[in-house]
Amino acid sequence: MIRYILRRLLWVVFLLFAVSFITFVIFYLLPSADPAALRAGRQPNPALVASIRHQLGLDQPWYVQYGRYMKNLIFHFDFGFSYQNGVPVRQLIFSRLPASISLAAGAAFLWLVVGIGVGIIAAVRPRTKLDRASMGLALVGISAPVYWLGLVALYLFSSDIGLIPILPGANSYVPLSEDPFSWFTSLIMPWCVLAVSFAAFYSRLLRGNLTEVLNEDYIRTARAKGLSERRVVFRHGLRSAITPIVTIFGLDLGILLGGAILTETVFNIPGIGRLSYSSIVRSDLPVIQGTVLLGAFFIVFANLFVDIFYAFLDPRVRYE
Amino acid sequence: MKSIRVCSAALLALMLSLTVAACGSSSSSNTSTKVGAVPAEQSLTGKTGGNLTVVASSDVDYIDPGAAYYQFTFMVTTATQRALYSFGPDDAVNAVPDLATQAPDVSSDGKTVTVKIKSNVKFSPPVNRAATSADVKYAIERAFLPTVANGYAGAYFGDIIGVKEFQDGKATEISGIDTPNSTTIVFNLNRGTGGVVAGALALPISAPVPKEYAAKFDAKNPSTYGVNQVATGPYMIEADSKGALTGYEPGKKINLVRNPNWDRATDFRKAYLDTINIEEGNDDTTVASRQILSGNGQVNGDFGPPPPVLKQIVNTTPDQLALTPSGGLRYVSLNTTLAPFNNLNVRKAVLAVFDREAMRATRGGPLLGPIANHFIPPAMGGFDEAGGLTGTGVDFLKYPKGNLALAKEYMKKGGFPSGMYTGSQQLLMVGTSGGAAQKSSEVAAAQLEKLGFKPKLRLVTQDSMYTKFCNVPKAKVVICPNVGWLKDFADPQTILDPTFNGKNIVDVNNSNWPQLNVASVNSAMDSAEVVVGASARNKAWAAIDRQITAQAPAIPWIWDDTANIRSTNVAGVINKFNSNWDLSFTSLK
Amino acid sequence: MSTGVPRLVEPSSGLTAADPLEFGTIAGRTPWQLFWRNFKKDRVAIAGLIFIVLLVIAAITAPLITKLIGATPPNLINTDALDSFGTPTGPSSEHLFGVDPLGRDVLSRTLYGARVSLEVALISTALATFIGVVLGLVAGFFRGWVDSGISRLMDVLLAFPALLLALGLAAACSLGDGCAVSTPLQAAGLATIIVGLLGAALSFARGRREMVGASLVVVGFGLFFLLIGSFFTIKIEPGAGVVIFVITLVSWTYIARIVRGQVLSLREKEFVEASRSLGASDARIVFKEILPNLIVPIIVYATLILPTNILLEAALSFLGAGVQPPNASWGAMIAEATSVFDTAWWYMLVPGLALLFTVLAFNVVGDGLSDALNPRQEGS
Repeated sequence: MIRYILRRLLWVVFLLFAVSFITFVIFYLLPSADPAALRAGRQPNPALVASIRHQLGLDQPWYVQYGRYMKNLIFHFDFGFSYQNGVPVRQLIFSRLPASISLAAGAAFLWLVVGIGVGIIAAVRPRTKLDRASMGLALVGISAPVYWLGLVALYLFSSDIGLIPILPGANSYVPLSEDPFSWFTSLIMPWCVLAVSFAAFYSRLLRGNLTEVLNEDYIRTARAKGLSERRVVFRHGLRSAITPIVTIFGLDLGILLGGAILTETVFNIPGIGRLSYSSIVRSDLPVIQGTVLLGAFFIVFANLFVDIFYAFLDPRVRYE
Repeated sequence: MKSIRVCSAALLALMLSLTVAACGSSSSSNTSTKVGAVPAEQSLTGKTGGNLTVVASSDVDYIDPGAAYYQFTFMVTTATQRALYSFGPDDAVNAVPDLATQAPDVSSDGKTVTVKIKSNVKFSPPVNRAATSADVKYAIERAFLPTVANGYAGAYFGDIIGVKEFQDGKATEISGIDTPNSTTIVFNLNRGTGGVVAGALALPISAPVPKEYAAKFDAKNPSTYGVNQVATGPYMIEADSKGALTGYEPGKKINLVRNPNWDRATDFRKAYLDTINIEEGNDDTTVASRQILSGNGQVNGDFGPPPPVLKQIVNTTPDQLALTPSGGLRYVSLNTTLAPFNNLNVRKAVLAVFDREAMRATRGGPLLGPIANHFIPPAMGGFDEAGGLTGTGVDFLKYPKGNLALAKEYMKKGGFPSGMYTGSQQLLMVGTSGGAAQKSSEVAAAQLEKLGFKPKLRLVTQDSMYTKFCNVPKAKVVICPNVGWLKDFADPQTILDPTFNGKNIVDVNNSNWPQLNVASVNSAMDSAEVVVGASARNKAWAAIDRQITAQAPAIPWIWDDTANIRSTNVAGVINKFNSNWDLSFTSLK
Repeated sequence: MSTGVPRLVEPSSGLTAADPLEFGTIAGRTPWQLFWRNFKKDRVAIAGLIFIVLLVIAAITAPLITKLIGATPPNLINTDALDSFGTPTGPSSEHLFGVDPLGRDVLSRTLYGARVSLEVALISTALATFIGVVLGLVAGFFRGWVDSGISRLMDVLLAFPALLLALGLAAACSLGDGCAVSTPLQAAGLATIIVGLLGAALSFARGRREMVGASLVVVGFGLFFLLIGSFFTIKIEPGAGVVIFVITLVSWTYIARIVRGQVLSLREKEFVEASRSLGASDARIVFKEILPNLIVPIIVYATLILPTNILLEAALSFLGAGVQPPNASWGAMIAEATSVFDTAWWYMLVPGLALLFTVLAFNVVGDGLSDALNPRQEGS
């Protein structure tokens, strides 16, 4: 088991290296803006631009630049400075992480509860009106673009412009440490909007798996033995039906922690997603590197946890 | 006031474009009675105390006042730093002595500029002592250090004797800046550009910086003086006892508190507010605008309300709006070095066909300013001399909605007998994606198509548009629809020289987008640079404006007004030079 | 997304499945006929299919329809249709769905936007499916280091946050004349050839004959890339090209993983063993035994990722990385609507509903497909 974990950890480290290298290559080779020219202001002379370029280390060959970046990262946990305003990238990222985590965690809780709940209900009452209605709604849920849903939600419920002004609108995010109540109310709409497509997907997935499982022989046996329906469903049925959900949940959460760009854009939440988007737009390589690495880190570690969880459950996996 | 209001209401009710033209012209010829216009003389009295929140979408360009160049950053620096000269709220043309005691003394040959400064202006803690001429000298020297890298120092102060040696590292100070005593500073120039230097001393580059405190920060790469700065103005950025800023979180906020060492008796500023919080990161300007309008104690920082919100304000609460000339203009530049725009008549044809009112509609319509007919903007010296609102008199700029027949005439003169472009090449046009800028570039492309041109419109990010395309002559961009220029200080040279002087065409960060290089224009500018005296300079540069307009290098389409908004309980005062709220005069009701 | 893994239809050994409950003549039906019968029963899926067909027709004949209803062309800027503040006006007799912030007709733009969405999604799904099938097949069939290599490559690709990668590539390729892919393709081809040759040498030395064949296949691929890169200058231009490129890049791994899994299990089946014992070559086994059994899951999964790709294209357009203006795209229209949606609600509603219904239709058809191919599934 330990050997398996070690092997996977080694691969994780390699993956992160690969991600940082590829990101560097993409944005170094194809930069969409010139950071030295950006910082040099409106009327610089070529000497000024050249000195800024030298100061930022941009006149070095690419492998030197990459080597310097990795050295700083590994030995000093230093992500460099933003080309835009010279702010340390680490500070930028960590100051925006809480917002993204707030958004992801709350939405995750919501979609798990709703998705699993609806999935179970639909599975134990197959082909009833309830089942059809909920699966129909789920279909709509996975078909609607999340940013559009966000706009519709704002149009309907936002306190400043909505038809039924009951919830704080866009740009109302407040950190938890400042004002817990406002933090909570400002996130209600984003949580709901973000959770919709996931809840829909999970409910469909669970319903399908659970229905299949509930038709297996051993379930029939359990029922015949006289176990209550509740026990049958929860202790026996759900147990096997839930495993793919766990996998997917881990992966989804991993991706979301790296920043939900679309939701953050619509609701103006100052998270990692918006930071990564604006850094790409401004060709701010150090910030791009930092946010992409962070996103990859979450994804890769989520994968790792899920894999370890499976290896724990199923010893055969460890020897693959 | 009432007749204009009825006019606007009629517009909205009828939604007829005909009345747009009628109301547009009446409002542009009568700016002082336009809805939301800032009065000529604002009320400068107010209640002391309270906190103001400035809502901003992005950060200042540099927190270091020696490198700052954005209008938004100037909002902060004019409250925390006392430059040699500054602009009061109501006069955007004549700077008043701030750290200086009187107007600068420029020698008749323009090669010497002498300034006397006050002796009782103190730095904020931990420096605490009075500022001297040596501190002003160091402020200007450090602007040339590579760790500070001020973007305009070279353009306006590059003629000071000894700058080159200092930049090359051969000298440890700039020999041409003399400080005969602690209250006198003398600039010795190797060219007669004293008039320009005198005007440029109204920028924050001339605010004193204590060398014994700052040198250690300036030695770092990049300089860290910005996050350790001291202040001489009525406010300072919150800092700890050692001087390190605690009130600055990049991209998030800047907190200003009162400077304990500021002496009210030495300053023209009033400084009513106790604290000012600048909140950044409000990307969604529609939402942010609404927050300001319905909130308490808030004003806008670096954005204007988008057209839908503007419409709402004009209809419901116009007194929360303050429109003031931005001191700049927007134009569409045509590359004069590439076919077909290397032909003067073809350029004139394009200017003649352009529907400039459609361009203005993308930014919010007539309310946002008059259609531009030449290059020096209103409320600047030289504006009236160059023809004022009606223009220099050329026929190809006479029709704000465009005149296809006239355009075709010019096309025929330009070698296209059918009156339409018959070439096969696609013309590379690079604009900014997103927002009003994208809309303007799309409208601009449509105008070109009217004459048969085939523009290939590429939309990229704003940074990319500047640093990879339009500012790089090698990129061979034919049309740049999203360019414009803002004055640096109240001298018409700052509008025309970087943008139309042939000698300012550079390989990187070129601002002469049309790459205009006409010998007569260049030599006129060289002569005008060394003219001394405001009225003489205005006349000289106005004549150059007429010359440039006659060359049709670009389509000027709006002298835009900046739209500023405030909450109802804010007694806001606009600084007309900077066209945003003046933090040293604004108060709460 | 469908809820389960479709089971395979029996191998193409000539047997047909007769429906034993049919009275009267026992007619033999091919699997396809069976499938169609099941599919027809699902009314919702049929509705979805009809919607898609109508949408495709509307997209193809968009210019005709625009002329017929007398709407203004989609790219015609008309600032006179805006009010004095430059804000769009709503539905009127002239513009059935109102105008956008530049005075262009929303109805015609929505129609033309369908073209973009469909074209991009279909092409990128087809490409992703092709690449995924080829790589999944090679990985699953040959196993060994080829499988490891391809799986590791997929891991690296999947480690990137997909939307960020797409955005970054789109931004990077929007410069100049776009991304020149020829040189990276040559480099990749050369690298693949070297790796393949190394692999062949090593396998030969270690006596693993079957891996030599696999390595040579890899060398063949490398040669292919090298030649393509050398003889064609492939530039990915900003606009639809970039979007297709990035969507293909982030979605092929999904198909590849599925196909690899299927091939892995198929390999072990008796009919493959039987074929091999009869002396069939690798190529024959792949093309005659394995591939036919993959067709069903391939079709099902391709239809499953299609709606996701439509949404991905719209998301990229929403973030400004999609097709270049003035061409209409539903995502870009929604993005433009963000600043005016509280007053210009029609501009947000129409493209949003168009997207919703299109994706819904594809999802419903995909569901119907996978259900029809799995007669043992219960419920809808």
